[in-house]
Amino acid sequence: MLKHNGAGKRQSEAVSGWLLISPTFLYAGLLLAAPLVAVLFYSLTLKDVGGFSLDNFWEVWTKPIYQKLMGRSLNVSLSVTAVTVLLAYPVAYFVSFHVHPSKKSLWLFLITIPFWTSYLIRVFLWKVILGYNGVINSGLMSIGLIDAPLQAINYNVQAMVLTLAHAYAPFAILPIFVSLEKIDRSLLEAGRDLGENKFLTFWRVTLPLSMPGVIAAVLIVFIPTVGDYVTPDLIGGGKLPMIADMIEVMMLKQNDRHMGSAIAVTAMVIVAIVSLIFLFLNKQFLRGTK
Amino acid sequence: MSTKDAMIEFRDVHKYYGDYHALRGITATIRPGEFFSLLGPSGCGKTTLLRTIAGFEGISSGAVLVDGRDMSGVPAHKRPTNMVFQSYAIFPHLSVEENVGFGLRKDPRSSADKARAVGEALEMVGLKGYCKRASHALSGGQRQRVALARALILKPKVLLLDEPLSALDKKMREQMQMELIKLQRQVGITFILVTHDQEEALVMSDRIAVMFEGEIAQLADPETLYRRPNSRKVPNFIGTMNFLPAKILQESARAVEVDVAGFGRVNVDAQQVMACASGESATVGFRPETLTVLFDPSAKSERESMATIEEVIYFGDMTYYDVRIDGTGTPVRISMSNVFGRQVLDIGARVRVGWSLGALVLFR
Repeated sequence: MLKHNGAGKRQSEAVSGWLLISPTFLYAGLLLAAPLVAVLFYSLTLKDVGGFSLDNFWEVWTKPIYQKLMGRSLNVSLSVTAVTVLLAYPVAYFVSFHVHPSKKSLWLFLITIPFWTSYLIRVFLWKVILGYNGVINSGLMSIGLIDAPLQAINYNVQAMVLTLAHAYAPFAILPIFVSLEKIDRSLLEAGRDLGENKFLTFWRVTLPLSMPGVIAAVLIVFIPTVGDYVTPDLIGGGKLPMIADMIEVMMLKQNDRHMGSAIAVTAMVIVAIVSLIFLFLNKQFLRGTK
Repeated sequence: MSTKDAMIEFRDVHKYYGDYHALRGITATIRPGEFFSLLGPSGCGKTTLLRTIAGFEGISSGAVLVDGRDMSGVPAHKRPTNMVFQSYAIFPHLSVEENVGFGLRKDPRSSADKARAVGEALEMVGLKGYCKRASHALSGGQRQRVALARALILKPKVLLLDEPLSALDKKMREQMQMELIKLQRQVGITFILVTHDQEEALVMSDRIAVMFEGEIAQLADPETLYRRPNSRKVPNFIGTMNFLPAKILQESARAVEVDVAGFGRVNVDAQQVMACASGESATVGFRPETLTVLFDPSAKSERESMATIEEVIYFGDMTYYDVRIDGTGTPVRISMSNVFGRQVLDIGARVRVGWSLGALVLFR
């Protein structure tokens, strides 16, 4: 009897559990899973003809244009990730370890200031700064350092990396900051107490313990920048398209969702593989610091 | 005292945090191989003092010497001391053996020898076979042992323990107290323990420094601290002490004669007379166990008075009676062990109270 009651109670708990998560579940299903399934479906079917086939993928993987664009996308996003995370770590470290606790939220608030302006406007500002007649060129010319505007600072991959790194800085700083905040300060004292100087304590204690934040920062910066197409359009002047530009062209301009989906799925798989490599490298690194 | 007899020497150590005067002229010597405790309420500066030895806390003036060497300007990682932290500070990303071997990186021994040393250190603290354990899978007591092994493996001259037992439950704490005493005898290293638990300090230490508000109030062995506290503050912190006002009648070099309300005239041995600088009026102090409730009508005592029981606190092995002695204003506490067959008295009962005069301490 008692047992039976217990089972009934468990069942009703399970039902209310499902009810509680159902809104989120629906949201995730309709807005995440369904579109993914649709894209996968399109990528595996042929335009006009219909029918399942791997031909779309065959085309994406063999045509040099796609390889080139994917390569550029990876190059840009890996560079952005490296630059952003390497610059974000010292900022996060400074705020976590050297800013008075009462001032920390103010600092975080200041770090998020770039978000107050739309990304589009920030990209245009970089264009104004880096452009042919931009702030840097006219500035350098007015003090007589150069005679003609520099071509090398605009419409290239470096300019794209700079723009994106600036845009993603807060996304990298915040997770690293959080992981540094979580470190028990007595662990650092213990490191010193056990005979390691400040640098080695950082290397053997602080850095490994903050790696979850670094990995989060890497993924948060890397994944969206692979698919970015606003920046190449505006900073690259349309001359340096990345893989997302190709998806846009296929989907909207050529009206070929099947090829567009095949490129998208390919890009997703590559991003997933690179992310897994990051995770693996992190594990290797942590083993090395022991 | 020559530096040979001193493992740690504090010379007029002052420490300010801004305007706050945390350490107010600490001068003390800790002997080699001693189990020394810094005892005091929270905020008395005991942890700060310990951290000045480890090098985590600078001092504003004075000097801290370890084994005869002035530690000013010596960074924490170069000091011959190791610490067991209150939170244990076990590295969560490392296994038990990696934690214990953390400080051996610069050790010239081969990795096989180091692994053996780690194994021996773990065995010494009773964690044999825990090498590969993940540190987050340890209980509080086990973390404590790992922290001990990690510090002792480096063979420090001084082991600093910052309230290491405060996070453990009572049973575990008592067990660890015994183990720490044994461990200290075994390794022969100077242990310095910070604690706010008077019982812990009494049980474990060779000598105790009782601290209040950045100053050492009394530095002595446990028995002296208990029997002959040098001010009224010390016994208020260590155990319980009854106080009754006293009037000084006459004094000689060997004794002081006082009149204690409710007890009459008493001679207090000069050794038991404590001069408190505070200028408070004379008071006699006595521990609860120096008074006896005379259950047996034929029992005799050096001196006796009649009293009324006002409160009974039963502990199982002991009973505390708060009694009011006829002719006194303040109740005093008597502790009686509950020997077999002895009944526990009720509130309101009239009893004869006997007291041993030799245990009286006079504060003047």
